Amino acid sequence: MSIMDYNGGSVVAMVGKDCVAIASDLRLGNQALGVSSNFQKIFPITDRIYLGLPGLATDVTTLKERFRFRVNMYTIKEEREIEPETFAHLVSSTLYEHRFGPYFCEPVMAGISKTPSGGIKPFIAATDLIGCLNFAKDFVVAGTASEKLFGVAEGLWEPDLEPEDLFETISQTIMNAVDRDAYSGWGCIVHVITKDKITTRTLKGRMD
Amino acid sequence: MLHQFADRFSTTSAQSELRRAQALAADDEEFSDAAWGSEAGLGSLAKGVPSFSVPAVSDPSAFLRLHTDDHADPSCRIKIKHGTTTLAFRYQGGVIVAVDSRATAGSYVASGTVKKVIEINPYLLGTMAGGAADCQYWETYLGIHCRLHELRNRERISVSAASKYLSNLVYSYKGMGLSMGTMICGWDKTGPAVFYVDSDGTRLKGDLFSVGSGSTHAYGVLDQGYHWDLTDAEAQELGRRSIYAAGHRDAFSGNTCNLYHIKEDGWHFIGNYDISKMHYEGPGNVPGAPGHGYGYDIRVEGRSSADVAPVAA
Amino acid sequence: METSFGITGKGYVIIAADTTSARSIIKMKTDEDKIKTLSPHLLMAYSGEPGDTVQFAEFVERNIRLYQIRNLYALRPAAAAAWIRRALANSLRSRKPYGVNLLVGGYDTASTDPHLYWIDYFGAMTEVPFAAHGYGAYFALSLLDRYHDPEASLEEGLAVLRRCIDEVAKRLVIDPGKYKVKVVDKDGVREVEL
Repeated sequence: MSIMDYNGGSVVAMVGKDCVAIASDLRLGNQALGVSSNFQKIFPITDRIYLGLPGLATDVTTLKERFRFRVNMYTIKEEREIEPETFAHLVSSTLYEHRFGPYFCEPVMAGISKTPSGGIKPFIAATDLIGCLNFAKDFVVAGTASEKLFGVAEGLWEPDLEPEDLFETISQTIMNAVDRDAYSGWGCIVHVITKDKITTRTLKGRMD
Repeated sequence: MLHQFADRFSTTSAQSELRRAQALAADDEEFSDAAWGSEAGLGSLAKGVPSFSVPAVSDPSAFLRLHTDDHADPSCRIKIKHGTTTLAFRYQGGVIVAVDSRATAGSYVASGTVKKVIEINPYLLGTMAGGAADCQYWETYLGIHCRLHELRNRERISVSAASKYLSNLVYSYKGMGLSMGTMICGWDKTGPAVFYVDSDGTRLKGDLFSVGSGSTHAYGVLDQGYHWDLTDAEAQELGRRSIYAAGHRDAFSGNTCNLYHIKEDGWHFIGNYDISKMHYEGPGNVPGAPGHGYGYDIRVEGRSSADVAPVAA
Repeated sequence: METSFGITGKGYVIIAADTTSARSIIKMKTDEDKIKTLSPHLLMAYSGEPGDTVQFAEFVERNIRLYQIRNLYALRPAAAAAWIRRALANSLRSRKPYGVNLLVGGYDTASTDPHLYWIDYFGAMTEVPFAAHGYGAYFALSLLDRYHDPEASLEEGLAVLRRCIDEVAKRLVIDPGKYKVKVVDKDGVREVEL
């Protein structure tokens, strides 16, 4: 029994055409015992960046608070909103600061970044628990159902999905993956981020 | 002790293999195997002493334990499927048997459609917790012997005798890695009966049992709703509701609930209920159904613990 | 075998904890109060590693009191719970972590609603309508899924608590024994007899 599996929970993020999506389950467990079916693991960082934190629940909350603090400090000092790439490096270095006594979380990020020419570019990234960055072009997964998420996402994802289709794809991915994982589930939440809108939906997942 | 064991079970010596083949051939002189149809792996049982292949090591049970004990070593070679909720209770109208249908290997939900009630014969049911294969095999084996008892004695075996037979049987394999926690339920001359039998050799007669990782959750609902004078509808609902409770709270239980009712004329399969569907919509139009979902959030929707709605500033 | 329960109802939170203090196989004391009153509208039940429990509870008690003295008002339940959680989370990565599980229940006088927080010794926290710690949780949570009502009167709430206590006494190998029961509502904190 790994400490990473103690509370359960999973997150997935996907790239679409000028949009990104991030989804997670809502379970908080105490090993096999389900405690809460409304435990948020995805947090808004800016208007265009969402951060998912699957792993040990105490570190989920602690890291959420730490990132809120550090992003606020960045905003005050720089007098501008943080860019997704910059935030990814902030996440990475925050985790690596604890290289020899890590936070037991594997963050997943999704956002829309601005290109120098004034356009937009969808952005997703994930790191391991000590901050090794992984910038993916398709999808990233983490949590107790990560193997199952890889399997389903590999089969369902395709390039350049419109926001509505991306929502469908990521919803099917998270729902089917967590149903095969004993430690994830108890409902799901999905955020789809486009350049001018964020759509959040909670899904009726299996409750067993 | 060991040499007796080796003599009885050894498959490694060519001579013993030959001996057994000759003995089998002698039995079947007049009829070919084809005439009897498939023996489904139980052929050797009907003919007498069960025989199993064992690894050619000095201590076979320690060898097995080394490769299957996933508590001590999660990366072991063979993961035996665990996690279950099963329950059975006796009441005025017979016996209710209800089980979930999830099988997990580690955190992986290997199956959601396992049949954890074993139909031993039209009057006897066995439940399955622990090693799936152990329960299936030995309860089927028990079925064979219950039938032989009927043929020899011209009357049905009592639930007490059947459970004692199983208990003695698994006890003879104690320490060799069998894993089963089962309830043998049925109706005999004495009326409805439930016996708990496990691979330690424990055998208990009782009114109400629940076995498996989700049993505590099931007990929480079952104990509070149980009394002897339950109606059939109430009893079936209690069984369903208790399995739902365990499927909801326990990570290793869930998917669906199989419900059986044993009456004087033998067992009846009542239904298969999706646990998630019970959470949101309830069990459907069945006797005893509450008319709404079992889920807490569904049951209390719109109700608030706030004293008065805070006035918007 | 320590067990504690928290149940919200219409305008109140009930916090109950067993009163047994055990060492090895011996009951050292059977009337120990494991629920602290942190502020006029805040209760905390604590259980876990002997020694750590009281030390941590008193540490929390004094810091919550200090905040009140400095600022002339008490922390609201959500803020107090967040502070207590962080204290546990920081302790987890110290040389000697506190092994303490908590139920924090309070009445928010500003929004006039009750709040209950489940916190384990790692510092994992979640707000819930009902909660339990210890082996009792394995019996009581399914029972509360079935019988809990957010709009229950205090009498109804105590009746559900009674069910939980009876169930645990019936099924747990070692009966936790007597319970101390406290209630917090708009009028503050008080102890009730079951």
